[in-house]
Order: sequence, then C-alpha cells, then structure tokens
Amino acid sequence: MNILLKIILLFGLLTMSVYAENTAAPVKAPTAKPSDSLNKDSACTKCHDENESKPILAIAQTAHGNKADSRTPSCQSCHGESEKHMSNKTVAPDVIFGLKKGAFSPNEAKDQNTACLTCHDKDQKRTHWQGGAHQVADVACTSCHVTHTAHDKVRDKQTQPEVCFTCHKDQRAQVKKFSHHPIGEGKVACADCHNPHGSAGPKMLVKNTVTETCYTCHAEKRGPLLWEHQPVTEDCTNCHTPHGSNITPLLKSRAPFLCQECHDGPHASRSPVAESAEGIQGGATSASANTTGRACMNCHSMVHGSNDPAGALLHR
Amino acid sequence: MKTQDKEMKVSVLALAVRCALMAAVTFPLVAQADDDAYALTHPTNMVDFGALYSSQSSAKFGEYNGLNEEGFYGLGGFDVRGGKGYDSANSALRWKLNGTNLGTTSRNLGASISEQGKWKINLGYDELQHNITDTYQTPFQEDRGGNNFTLPANFGKPAGTVLTNTNNLGASRLNAFHTEKEYTTRRNSSLGTSYTFGEQLSAQIDYNHLEQSGAKLIGTGAQGGINLAGTSTGKAEAVNILFNPTSYSTDNITAALNWKGEKAHLSGGYYGSIFHDDYNSLSWQNGVASAASTCTGSGCFTNNTMSTAPSNSLHQANLSGGYDFSSATKLVGGFSYGYNTQNSSFAPTLIPQASGIASSMMWGSGYPSSLNGVVETTHGDLKLTNQSIKDLTLSAGFKFNERDNSTDSSIYRYKAINDANAAIQTAVPVTNYTGINTPYSNRKTQYEVAAAYRLTNAQNLRLAYEREDIKRWCNGVIGGAQCISSPTSEEDKVGLTYRLKVFNDVNFNAGYSYAKRNAHFDHNFLANDGNRSITSVGGSHSVLNGADLIGFVAYPYANRNQNLGKAGINWQLTQKIDFGVNGNYKYDDYDAMLGVQNGHSAGVSVDAAYNYEENSSVSAYWSWQNGKRNLRNGTGPSNTTANVSNIGIWTNQLEDNSNTVGLLTRNGGLLGGKLEVIGDFSYALDSSAYSTQVPYLSTCSAATTLSCGNVSPIKNELISLKLTGNYKVHKNGKVALAYIYQKLNSNDYFYNGQQYGYTPSTLVPTNLQPQDYTVNVVALSYSLAF
Repeated sequence: MNILLKIILLFGLLTMSVYAENTAAPVKAPTAKPSDSLNKDSACTKCHDENESKPILAIAQTAHGNKADSRTPSCQSCHGESEKHMSNKTVAPDVIFGLKKGAFSPNEAKDQNTACLTCHDKDQKRTHWQGGAHQVADVACTSCHVTHTAHDKVRDKQTQPEVCFTCHKDQRAQVKKFSHHPIGEGKVACADCHNPHGSAGPKMLVKNTVTETCYTCHAEKRGPLLWEHQPVTEDCTNCHTPHGSNITPLLKSRAPFLCQECHDGPHASRSPVAESAEGIQGGATSASANTTGRACMNCHSMVHGSNDPAGALLHR
Repeated sequence: MKTQDKEMKVSVLALAVRCALMAAVTFPLVAQADDDAYALTHPTNMVDFGALYSSQSSAKFGEYNGLNEEGFYGLGGFDVRGGKGYDSANSALRWKLNGTNLGTTSRNLGASISEQGKWKINLGYDELQHNITDTYQTPFQEDRGGNNFTLPANFGKPAGTVLTNTNNLGASRLNAFHTEKEYTTRRNSSLGTSYTFGEQLSAQIDYNHLEQSGAKLIGTGAQGGINLAGTSTGKAEAVNILFNPTSYSTDNITAALNWKGEKAHLSGGYYGSIFHDDYNSLSWQNGVASAASTCTGSGCFTNNTMSTAPSNSLHQANLSGGYDFSSATKLVGGFSYGYNTQNSSFAPTLIPQASGIASSMMWGSGYPSSLNGVVETTHGDLKLTNQSIKDLTLSAGFKFNERDNSTDSSIYRYKAINDANAAIQTAVPVTNYTGINTPYSNRKTQYEVAAAYRLTNAQNLRLAYEREDIKRWCNGVIGGAQCISSPTSEEDKVGLTYRLKVFNDVNFNAGYSYAKRNAHFDHNFLANDGNRSITSVGGSHSVLNGADLIGFVAYPYANRNQNLGKAGINWQLTQKIDFGVNGNYKYDDYDAMLGVQNGHSAGVSVDAAYNYEENSSVSAYWSWQNGKRNLRNGTGPSNTTANVSNIGIWTNQLEDNSNTVGLLTRNGGLLGGKLEVIGDFSYALDSSAYSTQVPYLSTCSAATTLSCGNVSPIKNELISLKLTGNYKVHKNGKVALAYIYQKLNSNDYFYNGQQYGYTPSTLVPTNLQPQDYTVNVVALSYSLAF
C-alpha cells in the first residue's frame, strides 16, 4: 500500500507541476485551417511528381495529406529542409526513411523516429515507446508503417500480421498450427493484443496483465468465481500458448499430462499414463475416462473455475 | 439487443450498397479525369462481387473463414471513400464505407466520418462463426444454445440394473443418436467517437457490444450407479459430453480525456466491461444410472446440474502520462484501479428427480444464493529514460500489479459426483466434502534498469537488469489454512544484447539473458487441487502439500534457472535480394524433487526474398521449432510420505516438433500489364509426442496397464496452395480468378476414446471424428474501381 501511495503522490505532484507549467500555453480553437508550410511542398513535388516509381503523391489520401488540418506536415516537416539536396540531386535529403538502401542510404532508426515523434510522442498509445522493446531494438517507424500510400498494411487488420511476421518469424509459423486464433483469417490482428508502440504490460500487451488482456474478448473467464483455479487467476499462459498450438484449444500440452505438471496426488493424477491414453485402439484392454479423450476434463471440466456451490473439485 | 444488431446490420449494409450504387452512377464522370496526379491524390473506390465454390463440407477448413459447407457462396465487398477533405484546403471532412466477406459468416462492415483535427465517428460490425466440428453425435434432445438436455423417453431406462458399459448401448439406444454441428457465433458491433477541443485537449469514447451464441462441448461428470430412491449400488462417474451454451453478451466501453502540453501529456479514462450470461446452469439427464426402485415407466433418468460462466462486471479508472524534464530526460507512467464484481445466482442445488424426490447437492443449510465476489485490481508503472550522455541511453522502470480478491470465504458441504446418495435429498451422503473457498490474491512488483551504449557507429550494446517480486495470499480463509503453495518468490534477470552492422547491408544481432527465480515453497498448504478437505480428519485430502506428494512442486511455483539466447543475421545482398537467418534457444531448469524438471524451446527461421521487378517478387521461408519438457512424478504409497526416494518414480517427456515452409510469388506486368499472378504455398507439419518411463513397474507395458512407452504422436500436416490471377478487363475493371487447394492430414488419438464400441465404460460416446479434409475452392469475382 505504501508503494501505491507513493505512486499516487508522485503522479499527483507531477500532474500539478505539469499543469502549472503548461497552463500558460495558449489553447487554440479547433483546427481546420491549412498550414502555410504546405506551400513549400511544391519545391519537392515539381520533381517528385506522379511519375515517381513510388507513388509518393498518394500521401494526399492519408491523414498526413489532409490539407485543411493545420497539423498536416509538409514534406520538410519529415524530410528536413534538405537544402543541399535542393541544389544537388545527388546529395541525399536530410532524412531518408525506410530500411533498405535505395538511391540513398536511409538514416538511422532513431533519426527517422525523431522526425515522426515530433508530432506523435505525446500520445496515449505511444506513452511507453521510449524504453519499450521496439525502441530499444532500434525499430524504425518505417519498419512497419508506409506513409506515402493510401493503404498502410500495418493499419489494416487483414494485412497487419504479414508486417509483424517480417521480424516475428516464430509467430508466423505458429499461426499455421492446428489450433490458432483467427489471425491468418484476418479476424484477429496482432494489435488486438499487443501495442507495438510500447505498453506497461508484459510482452507489450495492450492491458496491464496477461489475464486482463485475454478478458477483453473472453470476459466469461473473468469471474471472480467461487472456486478459483489458482494458476488461471494469475496467467492464462500457464496452460495456453496464444499464437498457435498442435493441441486444441491453444494448449501447451494435453490432459492428463498437462494436469500432471501441477498435480501429483489426488485421484489419478499420480498415475503414469502412456498408450493407455490411446484407449482400446492403442492396445489397452479397456479405456479409462481418466486418460482418454478429455481425460481429467471429462469430469473436471470447470478448469477456469466453478461458480457452483457443489463445484469445489471443478466438476460442476 | 440482438434485434437491434440485426437492424443495424441491415441498415448499414443497405446504406453501403446505396452509396456504392450512387458512386457507381458518378463513375463515368470521375473516369474522365484521366489524370495520374488526380488518381494518386484521390481515393480509388472499389466494389467487388462474385461467387465461390467449395468442394467439401468441413468445419475445420471453415473454422474461421465461413466456408464450412460444400457449395456456392456469394462474394462481396466494397470500399468507398469521399469528402471534401480530399480536394479542399478549407474542409477536412472525409468519410469511408467498407465491407468485406459479405457472403460468408465472416462478414465485416465499417463506416466512418471525420473532420480531421476536430471530430470523428466510426461504426463497425464484425461477425465470426467459429466452426468447431460437424461430427458430434448425441442422444440428447436440446437445441444447440439451450441449457436443459433430456434423453428421449425410449432411450431405455436402466431397468433396475446398472448399465455397466456404454460400449454396448444396443440398437435402440444407438438409434437415438443424431449428428449436431458444434459452433459459436460472435457478432461484434462498435461505435466510436472522438472530439478535439483544441491543440491540447481531446476526448474519445468507444463502445463495443459483443453477442455470442452457439455452444462448445463440455465434459460433465455425474454419479453413474445410484438409485433414484433406495440404497446405493455405487459406481464410477458417468460422463456425458454436452453442448455448453455460449449465450453471452459483453459490453465494453472506453472513455478517455487526453491532454497534452509542451512538455507533458496526460490521459485519464474509464474502461467498463459488463459480461452477461443468459444462463447460470446447465442441466442434463444421466442415462448411465440404475433405475429407481420407486420409479416406473419411461424417463427414469437422474437429473444433474452444473454451473455456467457467471455474469460479471469490471469498472476501471485509468491514468497515464508523461513529462519531459528535458529533451534528454523523460518520465512516463500510469496508474489504474479496477473493481471487478460477480454476484450471479448460483446454479440450483436442489435438483428435481423423476421419482418426485428432489435431490440436494448440498448438505446442511445456510448457504448464500450468490457469491457477492469482489476483486480489486491495481496497477502502477513509472519509467525514466535519460540520454544526456552521448551514445548512452539509460532507463529505470517500476511496475506494480495487484489482484486483491476480497470475496468472502465460506464453508460449503456438498455431495461429490461419486457420492452414492447424491440424488437422494434425505440420505446421508457417503462421500461428503467440506469445501472452503479460497479467494486468491497476488501482487507482482517489477523493477528494471537498463543501459544501451553505442560502441561505434556500427555497434550497440544493451545491458539490463530486472527484478520481479511476487506475493500470493488468500484473504480471510475460514480456519486460516494456508491456501498457497508459494507465498512469495523473487526473480532476478540480467540480459545482454548486441547489434552489429557488419557491413552496410549486413545486420547481426545477438542476445543472452539469464534469470533465476527463488520461490519460497510452503508444504503446509492445503488447497492446490480444488480448495477442499474431506470431512474425515486426516483424510486423503486434508494432508500436507495440497495432497500432492511431499517433494512435488507445481512448475509455476518452483525455483527456476532460465537461460535464453538468440541471434540473427539479415543481409541485403543487392537492392533486389534479401536473406536472413534467425534463431533462438531457451532452457528452463526447475529445482524440484518431483514435478517438471526442465524444458527447452528452440527455433530457426531462414528467409529469402527476390524482388526481380517492380511488381514481381518471389520469397521463401523455412521455420523449424522444437520444444521439450521433462516431468518426474511419483505414485505413492502415501501423500504423507516425506521420503520420496522410496516411492515409485516415473517420468514423462513431451517433445514438440514443427516445420513450416512457405513460398510466395507475385508476378505482375504480364500481358502488357493487364495480368498479375499471385501464388502462395505453405506446408506445415507439427507433431507432439509423449513418452512415459515407469522403471519401478515391470508390468507397465501389459495391455491391462499400458502406463509406459511412447504414445502415438499427435500429428497435423497442412498443405495450402492459393493461386490468384487478376486480369484488368478495362481501365477500371478487374476480374479475379482464384483457386485454393488445402489439405489437412490429422493423426490424433484424442478421438479414440469417443467412438462407439471403444469408450470407457461410463462415457457416452460422441463419435467425434478426426478433422482431415481435402478442399478445392474456385472463386471468380469482378472488381470495379471508380
């Protein structure tokens, strides 16, 4: 509780000091006025026109090209004034975005990102960018985003995973496993669970904890329940692997073996199981409900917890 | 709300189609503007429609894509955008309507309108039918989604004798079985709005309504040999696999007020999540029981109930923000407090029986009718970063997460499912449990310091240290028993990462981390397996270590050493050719006499891409993954035995292997730029194999035991080929012809124990079949751009 009080106190002081410091800043009226700086775009577009191999003018279709928004950046806002480039086309502009070497080598990730963060750093979704896993790995904004196109793949649920899989190759294979979330089918995107710009949660999850993130869609597991199953209340990944598994539903292992990782005492949990799990077809003279099919979960089916007064053993 | 959903769905669809038609009418005017710059700077609207044929019904192939039935499907989609914001420097108004997969149960619709910089409104509708199986067979009479499963009267009462084996159901009983499809449907409707008050202040509200219907299979245990009235015959539990209804709705609302100043930003918000289940219980008749001596005629089955997911709610206040002390020193942090409650009525515990005598699942009286459960969650985080020293980035962070469950702990005396008198209200239970609920709480505190140093222009090094402290407890447990096996644990972790630009086009990275978890284990804990102790003092479940053998530690709560390494190299050979190899390895070693001993996971991926022309490329990858887990357990003789060296030790190993290959080709610019051909091939082979060794038991491989040896691996092989040809029939029209071949070869012993003639003696068969399929799909569609 002491720690909590300190956090609250620190935040309160911070908020007050910040407020005091910023209250003098003028509050402008809602903005729907083009920025004068956009006039400078023509210096660039007279060369970089519709004949460019990469259709840079398509930026006009994006939020970065809405001229009536006073926040809309000019070419120079992101690429720098690039005075040397203006007079000598063999010299690179100040800021070259991207990952791959083209006509010019791209700037370092942190320099590219500085250009983007000039406008995007004070944003709730990017609060934890600095010090986050992607920032410390020198991931550039342009590693994922393409700004000069009407369709930025990473912002489209259907195409986002292929962008993330560029680096996250284990996950690319895992979503093809027998049991998986509908990621390849375009119904769940990486950003439904993760915030690639950094978060306060583990693994850059959108919520503060694993369970909180899972409950966003699986609220029926949230409870609280009368009879709780301790590892379930702590971390869904104790039993499940979220990106894909050979064992339905997204399980790390199968009952009874999965259950035996944590239980070696009550009932049949201490009994070794091998081909008996395959039942009569596996060569056993008889099949047991303890080991075949759902095994333990033939009866102990309420593994996420039970709300039945007679359900302490997670039967009911 | 379901009705409202339908109304909205229709109206949005109708609106979208109308807009699309209106836009189509204006198409010739736009088409005349044969201007490349105009085309680049203005949105290209699109409508596509067509038909698709799928050659085989398969729930697995159609698991998420809506193509679960053989036959024809309509294809439809549209993407229409407009607004003065694309033309005018005086208006930022833009709008958008879009829809995809309109002809399947995976359809999606969206609409948004905004005056950028001022306000935005967006609507969404998303549907997903999760098809799980189409081979489930059951004798029960109830629709999918219902919660009261009865047997047909002519199913055959046990007629005074215990049904000893469901393998011999007999023709009349087998006739009662019918096939049902198992699926759930999610319908998600969303409304979001945001408003910008000025450069510093903005607000947003997002609302999401999720309707779920359908059912998922669930195992149900019930007494298998009781009399409805009279004395017990005693028998093992009977198992029926039933449809557990998912008749749910969830309302999520997120509201936030965001402020940003020159040096700081702050966001305060609310997150609410209200979950509702239409049912609080699932009821069924058990046909695997002896008949009642006082029950005559048909339908003398025992009735049973169990709980379903209870309705619950979460209300959470959130605060997050940051402050820039300077351009080099920044502080960010957040705080949230959540209040999670659940007070849904308990499932009925007084169960009406055919004999006229209701059976009570509870023994004694004075039980609450609902839980009145309360969990408070608290989160806090702070992170300070500093880049004052050239080439050095320092960071320090702190995180705090607490789940404080203040639900009351009470005593519940109940009849176990294997109680011989479970269905008799007045009879003293033979197997009577006293359960004490133990509301679990935990607190995790994490600290991290890190330093990243740029050694040279081409080299970066980062060193990080993390500390994680966990505390677990139960509030106010009746009797004060220790409910937790590991009340506290600490973990220290150090990590080192190194990045090197070997040459201008070759990037190498490597990292290593070591973590040591020290978990304090309390062998006096009593409740690791269901929070109960048997009424007889000293019974098998009131002993030490949660009734597990002394020396056994569940792996999440065991001491652990973890080593993790990863490395990768990515090489841009030319502007057209890329190549990369990446790998990782993790080894966990647990310090436990019994339980999981160790495990590893490893992965290697090789990627290559060749972009041989502007619109043409070929890329390929191979991924290999391997994992192993080694378990060491014992059989007894007694859970009070302290010396585990004298008991029967057995081991079990799980090994996972996975190989995935992918090949993607895109060939554009064919036939004078009119034809584009895309090929997407993938192959995935996964296997999971268990091996059990029981050295103390020489008869372990006998057919009556089969407790040692190798279990047939669970294998799944998926081959997928998609070929798409896009042909431009005119400047704004495109015909797409696609062919999909997908084949799943599945070999899984899971289904064995559910087949007619092969089930365990008291498990009612479902005849579930493996999900192999070979599906050919042909799709033809036309896209109009305008």
